[in-house]
Amino acid sequence: MNIISNHPINATIALAALEQVMDPEIGLNVVDLGLIYQLDFDKQGRRIYVSMTLTTQFCPMGDTLTAAVKRVMERTFGDQEIVVELCFDPPWSQERISEQGKLFLNQ
Amino acid sequence: MSNGYPNAGFRNTPDTAVVPFYLYAAISFLACTILLSLSTESFTQHYFSPQLLAITHGMALGWGTMIILGASHQLIPVLTEKSLFSIRLAHLSFFLAAVGIPLLVYGFYTFNMGWPSKWGGRLVLLAVMAYLVNILYTVKTGKSGNIYSLFIVTAASWLFITAFLGLVLVYNFNFPFLPKDVLTYLPLHAHAGIMGWFLMLIIGVASRLIPMFLISKYQNNRRLQLIFLMINGGLIYYLLSYYFQFPYPVLFSGLMIGTALSFFLHYIFRVWQSRIRKKVDQPMRISLLSVAIMLLPLFILLLVSGYRITGGQHSRLVLLYGFLIFFGWMTSLILGMTFKTLPFIIWNKHYHDKAGLMKTPDPKTLMSDRLFMAMGISYLAGFMLFALGIFGGYTSLLKAGSIVLILAAVFYNLNVLKIWRHKPLV
Repeated sequence: MNIISNHPINATIALAALEQVMDPEIGLNVVDLGLIYQLDFDKQGRRIYVSMTLTTQFCPMGDTLTAAVKRVMERTFGDQEIVVELCFDPPWSQERISEQGKLFLNQ
Repeated sequence: MSNGYPNAGFRNTPDTAVVPFYLYAAISFLACTILLSLSTESFTQHYFSPQLLAITHGMALGWGTMIILGASHQLIPVLTEKSLFSIRLAHLSFFLAAVGIPLLVYGFYTFNMGWPSKWGGRLVLLAVMAYLVNILYTVKTGKSGNIYSLFIVTAASWLFITAFLGLVLVYNFNFPFLPKDVLTYLPLHAHAGIMGWFLMLIIGVASRLIPMFLISKYQNNRRLQLIFLMINGGLIYYLLSYYFQFPYPVLFSGLMIGTALSFFLHYIFRVWQSRIRKKVDQPMRISLLSVAIMLLPLFILLLVSGYRITGGQHSRLVLLYGFLIFFGWMTSLILGMTFKTLPFIIWNKHYHDKAGLMKTPDPKTLMSDRLFMAMGISYLAGFMLFALGIFGGYTSLLKAGSIVLILAAVFYNLNVLKIWRHKPLV
């Protein structure tokens, strides 16, 4: 999965919350799918940057997924501004899927 | 690491520009299977008959074109990364086509080439023009250099040519001005529609959607460009041969398009091989089946052009060719793809603002698996019975096949209705 963050404790809390966001087509959450690239918490505690990707750049559910990620982060870190940014460099690849996710997809 | 915010520039198309097309197509499919059942005798005679013209146009326009127009309104913004240029134009193309198609089908069924056919043809042409303008402006303002957009724009242009040629033929019935009889020009109109519109659009969209649904990383734009050039090259050679008298138009263009199809099959095979998602659901299986079915009509076409088949046999093979295209390849693809797209469109309508806030249902649960299975089995049985009936000239098989196809259309309609009428759970 390899998620970059400048705050490991907050990142763990964020990832646990983001496991509730499911890709509706695949049926797997965005964390196990490896869609979350980076979580940056600014030092003043005012803003959180979420860098994420989609399995394909043309994913019709992209809008729904980014909105859901923003909502979950806002609920978890209520007092902070959440900025979700889509990133396709590097593009998503199957190596990013967690072991649990691979098991699910191979069922 | 970041390359900006690629999805920020567009929003999803509202369901009012998509769902009415799906509903209209579902009703058209049912109406066409009923017409099929009432016209089985026509399938033992010459292919140029009022009933067959009506069924063909009902299937091509009411079923195939309407659902593709709706689905492409949803898909084009995703491919071009821009909002659909105009929702009003999308609505306009729906209303024009929704009135024009039944008029045209009625005109053909009663062989009234007066006002019903003329107005039907005019309205369909206007609907196509509204669609083409919408697509051109969306693509123009969107991300350029996208092979999928190229397929869609070219397909929409072929649709315009097809509708225009069709209207010319309708007028020719009233005021004959073409140098030869209608049967000479009918293949031009038919193949501009089948190869230029349906095949071009389906390959363009399928080469994007199938890898997406199977989660496959295989992508080969050069191969898609080659497929694009070969289909268009084959089709243009065929059309120009009417004027320039090129040698073996059907055989050469058939071989070019056939080679393009085999490249496309290989493309899908590579997608399948490199897929991450091992478990493939039922709608996807039917969609993949359609990819294989698309070779059958081509085989018939080459058979007709390669051998000196005349009289009743020739007419039967032409009928089989048309049936394999409209009730085989096109229908199997739509039956599968409807249930890969419509549940998500309706789910998105109800749960877009709720995802992440609360537990939302799985989009797949919006449809009924039982109805889908019943539809799949009855469709395959009806399709095979009817195809055998045409091939052998057996009226009893044609009757039985058409009744089973009505059942398939009823199951399809019930499932579409179930998805459309979904009540949000939260």
